[in-house]
Amino acid sequence: MEKYSITLTLAICGLLCGNAFAKVSLFACEPEWEALAKEIGGKNVEVFSATHAKQDPHHIRARPSFISKIRRADLVICSGAGLEAGWLPILIQKASARVQPGAVGYLMASDFVNILEVPTSVDRSMGDVHPEGNPHVHLNPHNILLVATELSQRLNKIDAGNIDFYNERFQKFSFRWKQAIVQWESDAASLGGTPVIVHHKSFIYLISWLNLSQKGSLEPRPGIPPTVSHLEDLLKKLKQGDPVDVIMRAPYDSAEASEWLSRQTGIPAVMMPYTVGGDSESKDLFSLFDRSITLLKQAASAIK
Amino acid sequence: MGRFIKVIFVLMSVAMASQFSVFVQAADNEEIKVLREEIKNLRNVYENKISELESKIGQIEGQRLASGGEHQIPATSMRSIKSNASNPSIGMVLNGKFNKYSVDGEAEVAGFALGHEGERKGAGFAVDHTELNFSSNVDDKFYGSSTFAIAEHDGETEVELEEAYIQTLPGFLADGFTLKVGRAFWTIGYLNEHHSHADDFADRPLPYRAILDGGYNDDGFEITYVVPSDFYTEVGIGLFRGNDTPFRGPDGKGYGGRSMFARVGGDIGANQSWRAGVYKLTGESVSGRTGGHGDAVTFIGDTDLQILDLRYTLAPTGNAREKEIIFQHETFWREEDGTYEDTEETPGAGAVNVNWARDKVGSYTQLIYKFNPRWRIGLRYSELQPPPAPAALAGSHIDGGGFTPEMHSVMTDWTNSEFSRVRLQFNSAELAAGQNDSQFILQYIMSIGAHGAHKY
Repeated sequence: MEKYSITLTLAICGLLCGNAFAKVSLFACEPEWEALAKEIGGKNVEVFSATHAKQDPHHIRARPSFISKIRRADLVICSGAGLEAGWLPILIQKASARVQPGAVGYLMASDFVNILEVPTSVDRSMGDVHPEGNPHVHLNPHNILLVATELSQRLNKIDAGNIDFYNERFQKFSFRWKQAIVQWESDAASLGGTPVIVHHKSFIYLISWLNLSQKGSLEPRPGIPPTVSHLEDLLKKLKQGDPVDVIMRAPYDSAEASEWLSRQTGIPAVMMPYTVGGDSESKDLFSLFDRSITLLKQAASAIK
Repeated sequence: MGRFIKVIFVLMSVAMASQFSVFVQAADNEEIKVLREEIKNLRNVYENKISELESKIGQIEGQRLASGGEHQIPATSMRSIKSNASNPSIGMVLNGKFNKYSVDGEAEVAGFALGHEGERKGAGFAVDHTELNFSSNVDDKFYGSSTFAIAEHDGETEVELEEAYIQTLPGFLADGFTLKVGRAFWTIGYLNEHHSHADDFADRPLPYRAILDGGYNDDGFEITYVVPSDFYTEVGIGLFRGNDTPFRGPDGKGYGGRSMFARVGGDIGANQSWRAGVYKLTGESVSGRTGGHGDAVTFIGDTDLQILDLRYTLAPTGNAREKEIIFQHETFWREEDGTYEDTEETPGAGAVNVNWARDKVGSYTQLIYKFNPRWRIGLRYSELQPPPAPAALAGSHIDGGGFTPEMHSVMTDWTNSEFSRVRLQFNSAELAAGQNDSQFILQYIMSIGAHGAHKY
């Protein structure tokens, strides 16, 4: 009998205890933060990403599995600025004290970067405008570095035994990342001033970093799906000679509207990777930016 | 270092070569190109070196802060309104309907004496429950929320206190434990925890209407524990006053209702998730639960209710915003031991004993398909199995006469944004013998102000 109960205890522990004690457990809201956590944390962290690149991070339903993941998490890393307002708060209420707002384990990327498009007034008739500003901060690589710096400091506090490990990884990452930024900026220098149309305003950080010029969006208002009348207006504007070189969309945006406008105007419609895993080439943060710049250059040269 | 010497060498060569510029014009151009390239590389290398040193300084500063000084973590980005940051979040749900029924007057449900919330809503235009919600963290340990519903019953406008509770924030109790005290839609089945504005259909399914009178929001408390397992596991117990259907009429001594539940859930791959739960709600109607027209039927005694719920979601394209399928099912089992008295149909009979063993008493199954970011369609089947009434209560509300009330529903809704939805629903309701009610419901649900995250 005793033997059985020991076996049972072990089995239950095997089921419940997992190996949560061994590694720092991270809950990332989006794949870009999962990728960053792996860059800095390496083998010492276990990262769960709540969403993948095909999912619209504005419209996620809190799933039961999220509760179990966030319950065990030592650190929650998300974009913040209201992007996860529809699903993160309910998870945080069920999470541990370690990841409550203000704790070391609560890291919102938008708190550590310069936020663009902060509205002076907000009204729901303007669409889903975030009072905090545009939350898609990861598409400027300088922001990634700022968040990486903060993340490495947080990991140092959470897992003080491995400070040297995290610092070394952070320094290596930061060295490679800065080199990459220099390379990207020189590669993309020719893109400066390129006029673009976006599906949703998810690319403003990329656009401002590369000095592109955003001429409009397919959504009539942020978060409101494209309508026929709005697309007709855009088409009229384009035909009246306000030239645009690229129509950009994220993998989770419906292709219909941008493909239609592309057929009508001959302007290339490009599915940008938007985040890690957004297409087969964008495997990590480095290749995400490589790929984004390549796609933009291809599209911009196609029209000339 | 080798590269550096090489560059110096090239620079010197260029200086010398410039003395003979006419002589070596062509070769010069090539050299300058190479040189520019080298200088550029050199600059990059040094820039990187500098930024590396900068980051080292940053790191050392970071370490110093980590070891000694206070590393300030900014108070952050839970949504707030800047000019009145300490005000609670305020939200309002506006909900209106147009109902058209083929059966006039009061529609019966065979075998059940319905309460006010469970009855069929009046025909014609009607503003349904208007919900007003205030919620906020109280301090570092508590969260508070209240919801008022303004609704019309029998021509009178009433304010109902649907919810008013406080809840502990993580960190106050041991990890994973939450205590919720006050009045709330308690954790019983899937729908009960949700406000009806979040439902996928314009009316609640039959078991909720007949057995819980819309929903169970008694006064009391609940302790829940999220087990730190690989898949979602949550258990909880509750103690309640016993002042809401299926109990009512508490004597105020001790508690009139108690509950316990366990539920599990998880993912299948990246695009499917599931959840299943079992719930038990037991209690006593002391001075009586009334129902039926004019509150004609009174039950006094013990009720034991068990509920099973299942839910499964699938995002066929991976993006739930574009396309989504949701399956949901709940079954109710009930045991009742006490007396029923009907003062309307069987006035002479007095209080008649019933002793119904636990038996299936109702269920519903529904399927929702979102085929476009704005449009969804849904099918629902719900049914009730009234237990046999004692002979003395023949002809009363609780005498189902062997009839199984059932309802087939189909709905489609249009969602403009996450704050507005318009729905058209058709019900084919056979709720009593010889009563085939065709019901059309047109409904709008709009929310203004703060809108909390939806439950999982």
